[in-house]
Amino acid sequence: MISVENLHKRFGEVRAVDGVSFSAPDGSVTGLLGPNGAGKTTTLRLLYTLMRPDQGGITIDGIDAVRDPQRARFALGVLPDPSGLYPRLTAREHIAYFGELQGVSGAELQRRTEHLLKMLDMTEFADRRVAGYSHGERTKTALARAIVHNPKNVLLDEPTNGLDVMSTRAVREIIRRLKAEGHTVLFSSHVMQEVSALCDTIVVIARGRIVASGTPDDLRRQTGHQNLEDAFVALSGLNEGQEAPGTPPEARGTRLEAPS
Amino acid sequence: MTSSPFTQALVVCRKELKDWSRDRRSIITVMVSSLMAPVLVGVMFTQLANRQRSVEDVSIPVVGGANAPALMAWLRQQAGVTITDGPSDPEEAVRTRREPVVVVIADDFADDFKASRPAQVRIVADGSSQDARPKVQRVRQLFQRYGTDIGSLRLIARGVSPVVAVPLQIEDTEVSSAQQRAAMVLRIIPLFIMIAAFTGAMSIATDSTAGERERGSLEALLVNPVPRGALASGKWAAATLTAMFTVLVSGALLFALFQYIPLQDLGLRVRLGMPHVIGSLAVVLPLCPLLVGIQMYVATFAKSFKEAQSYLSFLMLAQMVPGMLMSMSDVKRGVWTYYVPWIGQQAMLSDVLSNELKTPLVFVIVGVVNVALAIAAVRATAGLMLRERIIFGR
Repeated sequence: MISVENLHKRFGEVRAVDGVSFSAPDGSVTGLLGPNGAGKTTTLRLLYTLMRPDQGGITIDGIDAVRDPQRARFALGVLPDPSGLYPRLTAREHIAYFGELQGVSGAELQRRTEHLLKMLDMTEFADRRVAGYSHGERTKTALARAIVHNPKNVLLDEPTNGLDVMSTRAVREIIRRLKAEGHTVLFSSHVMQEVSALCDTIVVIARGRIVASGTPDDLRRQTGHQNLEDAFVALSGLNEGQEAPGTPPEARGTRLEAPS
Repeated sequence: MTSSPFTQALVVCRKELKDWSRDRRSIITVMVSSLMAPVLVGVMFTQLANRQRSVEDVSIPVVGGANAPALMAWLRQQAGVTITDGPSDPEEAVRTRREPVVVVIADDFADDFKASRPAQVRIVADGSSQDARPKVQRVRQLFQRYGTDIGSLRLIARGVSPVVAVPLQIEDTEVSSAQQRAAMVLRIIPLFIMIAAFTGAMSIATDSTAGERERGSLEALLVNPVPRGALASGKWAAATLTAMFTVLVSGALLFALFQYIPLQDLGLRVRLGMPHVIGSLAVVLPLCPLLVGIQMYVATFAKSFKEAQSYLSFLMLAQMVPGMLMSMSDVKRGVWTYYVPWIGQQAMLSDVLSNELKTPLVFVIVGVVNVALAIAAVRATAGLMLRERIIFGR
């Protein structure tokens, strides 16, 4: 359970996040939808406690994440963007590293690792070094290490960005499974189809503000567009051809690949 | 499901070491940097020894030797001296370094000599040539001795005691012991060992800070519920271990080498044994934690591996400055010198190598000072990892 209350974050003159409030209940998938530079990544960074909000509150499973970020991190599994890997370690070692940092070890770690490797279909490459991985294999590795400790809340920043069809399907499958297991899943995307296929609730964000939220049907009704993509364009004001000017690099979702 | 910060630091340390041990480039760096000191020192000492030995056996090219047959005969009788025919153009031969020194006997030598006038012997040498200097000195001494001998004989022939012509008795008393002279030569060794420690630590110190930023892995790592202090200490411990490893390898090679170096030929009556090895390691090893702490702090500011390396190469030059100043100018050594990192190590190492260490307490104090500063550096690094500019700024 994640709830966000009137979140503000600015970089210099730019209000990257400007009064965002929403909540993501247990056992459901919430999609943070918005065009590039809308404030999705910044919102997620505030949620996973690496950025401090200028104003506003974040509660994760009842823990005040602004006041006690360390405790909140135990309840979080995060796939940030970028999600760099260590080229000289294998996927299995990545999972073990993060598992041990989270306090999972021994037989429990073994069990979780095997479970994840099977679930994400990683057994074939799990003992090779990351340096030679494909983009999909990297994403799977990053995802596996992020949820090795079986966190209640899972945050994913553009998890399917740049993936091919099969890998995208695998990630979607994981998201569905996590939901079925009762996790709270919150992920960001700028791809309409992705969000509509997976989410129970869609939160549309543009220029740091929430412009609409609800089920896909709610959004259609609100905007009067039958096509969800048209609804998205109408909501985020993209048809006026605007994007927040002068967005600083910190507020933009930048990505960098591990050197191969 | 929680684990203590100490366990977490261990996990980080183990991961960094594993990562490091798989990087061929960093292993090569360690090998090369630990070999650097022994190889350089070996070459330098062997060359010094050879030069010393070659001075004893001197061959003197003489132009116009026929003008002074008695002098030539006397020279030939001197131990280790051989006379050869000099080149036609002595100045050119010396300038082009074909000959280290050439002696020219003037044509009117015999006439002047017979008339008891100062007869001319010209020594052609290049003062800027370091190699030739001892040889030139030896040649000059030979002629001076001949001159003094002949002078005394002339005075005796005139019924005057030669002592009258020696108003001063100049005596050189060398204060520095042979060991101290050795220590002066050996003073460059700590510099090399410290460079080895520096380069040995560099891989992890940059890879685990700037490297994490460049790869974009820092964000994911920091999301884990690990106190920043534990994270920084784990990385720091791993880098410190590699630095110490490099020092140990370098030290072992160096002292193995000393068993074979002809130190006696240098006129140095030193024996370097186990106590010196242990003493030197006890001096340099406590510096490693601090060295690594500073490296990590600096490297954390860098956005990329390359940027970090350029920062650190400046740092490496900076760490050499105090040592160089100490060995070039004779800075007054006081108690304070021991407490300043780098200078302290320098001072202590030369004490250890010349058997002059006053009290072992100094090890303890210097160790405590270094570790305290190291902890401060690690804490500062942990502080950097909280900054949004560092975590996200790329």
